[in-house]
Amino acid sequence: MERLRDSNEFIGGFIPRKQRAKILIGFLGISILVLSLRLFSLQVMKASYYKRISDENRIRLVPLQAPRGIITDQNGRVITFNRPSYTVFLIPYEVKNLDFVAERLAPLLNLDLSTLKERLKANWSRRYEPIKLKKDVDFKTICVIEEQNQDLPGVIYQVEQIRRYPDCGWAGHVLGYVRELSKEELSSDSVSSAEKSDFSESTSLKLSPAERRGYRPGGYIGRKGVEKQYDDLLRGKEGGTFLEITAAGKIIGPLEDREPDLPVKGTDIKLTLDLDLQVEAESALMNYESAAVVAIDPANGEILALVSKPGFDANLLAGALSSAEWNEILQNPLHPLLSRTVQATYAPGSTLKLLTAAIALESGIANKNTYLAPCNGSYRFGRRTFRCWRPEGHGRLNLVDAIIHSCDVYFYQLGLKVGLEEWCRYAKLCGFAEKVGVDLPDEVKGFVPSLEYYNKKYGKGEWVKNLVINLSIGQGEILVTPLQMASFYCGLATDGTIYRPHILKEITSPDGRVSIAQSEVWRHLPFSSATLGVLKEAMVGVVNDKDGTGVLAQIPDVTVAGKTGTAQNPHGEDHAWFVGYAPAKDPKIVVAVVMENIGHGGTFAAPVAKRIIDKYLKRGIVAERADSVLAGDTP
Amino acid sequence: MIKFRYKNFDWGLMAVALILSVIGILLIYSAKHYSANVVERGIYLKQIVWLFLGFCACIIVFLIPLRFYEVFSYVLYFIALSTLLLILIVGSSKMGASRWFSLGGLNIQPSEFAKIATIFALSRYLAYSKRSIYSFRWLVPVIGIAVLPALLVLRQPDLGTSLVFLAILISMSFWAGVPIFYLFLIVSPFISLICASHWVAWALFFLILIIILYHLRLNFLFSVGFLLCNLAFGMITPLIWNRLHDYQKDRIIVFLDPGRDPQGAGYQIIQSKIAIGSGGLLGKGYLQGSQTKLAFLPHQHTDFVFSVLGEELGFWGSLMLLGLFSFIIVKGILIANKARNAFASNAALGITSILAFQMLVNIGMTVGFLPVTGLPMPFVSYGGSSMLSSWIVVGLLLAIHYRWYEY
Repeated sequence: MERLRDSNEFIGGFIPRKQRAKILIGFLGISILVLSLRLFSLQVMKASYYKRISDENRIRLVPLQAPRGIITDQNGRVITFNRPSYTVFLIPYEVKNLDFVAERLAPLLNLDLSTLKERLKANWSRRYEPIKLKKDVDFKTICVIEEQNQDLPGVIYQVEQIRRYPDCGWAGHVLGYVRELSKEELSSDSVSSAEKSDFSESTSLKLSPAERRGYRPGGYIGRKGVEKQYDDLLRGKEGGTFLEITAAGKIIGPLEDREPDLPVKGTDIKLTLDLDLQVEAESALMNYESAAVVAIDPANGEILALVSKPGFDANLLAGALSSAEWNEILQNPLHPLLSRTVQATYAPGSTLKLLTAAIALESGIANKNTYLAPCNGSYRFGRRTFRCWRPEGHGRLNLVDAIIHSCDVYFYQLGLKVGLEEWCRYAKLCGFAEKVGVDLPDEVKGFVPSLEYYNKKYGKGEWVKNLVINLSIGQGEILVTPLQMASFYCGLATDGTIYRPHILKEITSPDGRVSIAQSEVWRHLPFSSATLGVLKEAMVGVVNDKDGTGVLAQIPDVTVAGKTGTAQNPHGEDHAWFVGYAPAKDPKIVVAVVMENIGHGGTFAAPVAKRIIDKYLKRGIVAERADSVLAGDTP
Repeated sequence: MIKFRYKNFDWGLMAVALILSVIGILLIYSAKHYSANVVERGIYLKQIVWLFLGFCACIIVFLIPLRFYEVFSYVLYFIALSTLLLILIVGSSKMGASRWFSLGGLNIQPSEFAKIATIFALSRYLAYSKRSIYSFRWLVPVIGIAVLPALLVLRQPDLGTSLVFLAILISMSFWAGVPIFYLFLIVSPFISLICASHWVAWALFFLILIIILYHLRLNFLFSVGFLLCNLAFGMITPLIWNRLHDYQKDRIIVFLDPGRDPQGAGYQIIQSKIAIGSGGLLGKGYLQGSQTKLAFLPHQHTDFVFSVLGEELGFWGSLMLLGLFSFIIVKGILIANKARNAFASNAALGITSILAFQMLVNIGMTVGFLPVTGLPMPFVSYGGSSMLSSWIVVGLLLAIHYRWYEY
């Protein structure tokens, strides 16, 4: 097989040398042209894009913290402020002997030696970039570090403002807390469908929505309560200085042609909360594990006190929280992070009998003197027996007495007369199963059943309307939040007008401008003043009648009105309710108290409500105690 | 001694090579002058010394009669081969690759000189073989001469340089008169190697191959054997992929998708593109490149020296460099065209193809067109062996130009 080809004529043919030279030069020309076009695209078309990335490469923004807005109560007393704290860093570049430094630092900072070393090694690559070791180191330790700075090269500290909340976790759920944002949290809500193409080359250009709003990893974000709700106001605007750095993170110096951005202080917030009242409410619940209190001014919807127990230590959550401590909080069966006033729902028990009564009055089914079959301790409907809370029975009662004695049997009958459909319709008209719209985060709306709900649950025609028997005494499927209950009673206490409960009173922007939050009407109860009059008479009786269920809420010189409730629940003892207002003639305050798994509302919740009302109406007696709950000096 | 004929000496070629070298030294200075390390800062001085040595080597190479290279070409080739073999056994290792000989502090990279020796050997064979260029017996030694050193270099491992041998093989075969379709057949096993990574590409490639084979009306047995050979090459792709070092795999993956790992393997390409792109039309100014000065570019004085130029001198600066290189390459092709002696002509073309290939691949890599292969840019990149061999090559071109009329 000497010759590969049989013929000498072939495609392409023999090319003379001169032609070959030309082909080669042409080939070179094309290659050069392609490269030039590529360079043109990079250096001319996309020059500004690459310039920006190269600037991002070399410029490090050192954030200048903006002081967060201060939170005060309605009288201007400071509840939450900022205090300086020390954060310790280490600059790897200056450390000659890592083990030596780590061994000395670990006991000083109260850190585990191996975790300290791990943290250092993980961040070792950018040798000039300070590694954050520990936040909120106490002043004594800083003194020791300063003293031993010969032995601790590269160890530096910085002053940082951190949030200071009232001790004991008081008002914790109202205030919430701030936490450092981690990178993962920031990017977790990032738009994953971000355009790919060339932008994928620089991760730094992908901003999550949170970042566009001015958040950054390591910055603070409000969590829960007012801190979350008004984070955008409180946060202010972070500033920054611009430094030029090398790839290894070494600082060359401040950027020449770029002035530092100065931070803008956050807006100060005044709450409607009354600190004295809040403290009183917290102390009244001191000995109880889980409870919630809402106190509202019915004339404008201002929330005067808001307690949810168990609370949490906001100072702990805002500071250096270990994962063990965090897990302990998360795994606590009492759910301390749950804000019971707006996030928890309960069966309202007898406190909702007023709704049943109001519907009956309004629709003419009953008047205040209507007598129904006497109570002998239980009521038989079909094959089921429904018990009254008082086994020996209440005898023959009219509507007002039935409310005063909270007779269940009377309301079973009244409920049946009202009917399921009508009852549910009115419940919704009164604002149940609807968010109140309070300016606090994560409010839930509770639940009111409907015909559709029952049809779905039991199947059409598979259930009877006696379900209204349970609903009429506030048991069964109905679920309400303490705030909804307080709002409902705001309407009962007045002419039926309910102002939207709110916590913000006024804000003071950094330039001194003050804006006052306006009260707005949330809804009117669908009841006439005659109806409301009967209910009011009954509610006064509940507290002031000598056989009333709420006698423990009595206050000398002040007429308190209200209704007790004892809500059965499958998880243990009954929940104790009391919702009331005072003075009866001209209500200044509405209080809703719910205490979990404890017993009768009249026994446990009524005295708590009494203390709160008493404190509010006879204020100023122990005003200075409120200040003492704040640790340290107020600035 | 015969009188020096100024007019026959290619002053332009030497001047441009000198300009490129000086640009290189300036860029190396710029790349390292901000370094905290005194030795690194002074690296440009070393390059000046290398330039001087290279210049001397150029003159010596120029003075030696062309006949000498012709006569000793096979000897030089075998010396080069044995050196490459030796380095695999005793070479000093840098970044997992043994490419260097350490001789009293100087690192010498024999593959740089092996390229020249291979060109000599190929030139001589192509010039004197009486076999038909369409014959199998002609083809086997041609491929053998180029592939042998390529395999040894690949073993180091240095993929970039071994590809240079392939470039030499193709360009010189073409120069010897092998038609383009035949060249395609020569290269086809390697294309098959790459195409086999995806079955559609491979099938398409085979289709084209069969059409060409049919078109050329080649010997049937040969055609079948040829296809089988291609098939075999394609089959070993997965094997080769598994044998590749991790960093080589990374480079290829990253070339295909640089955004995949921006802090890791994709870092070089991304930072290089940022440097070049941010230079804009006019550049940030000499010594003003932030990517360069703040060390965001890795290997900025060696393989990525073009990125420094792109950043500091901009689009016009980059075009200028391309222009200077084009001048040398066109000159080289013209010299090859003009030379009467077949050996000299082949050698001139081979030499030019090295310069062109390395320049194109290097720039292509820095602008993100080609995977990172670690090929230096002739004259400009830092490196003694590269500088020496570049200038030796210039000396040869000058000599061939000066004595173009010799048979």
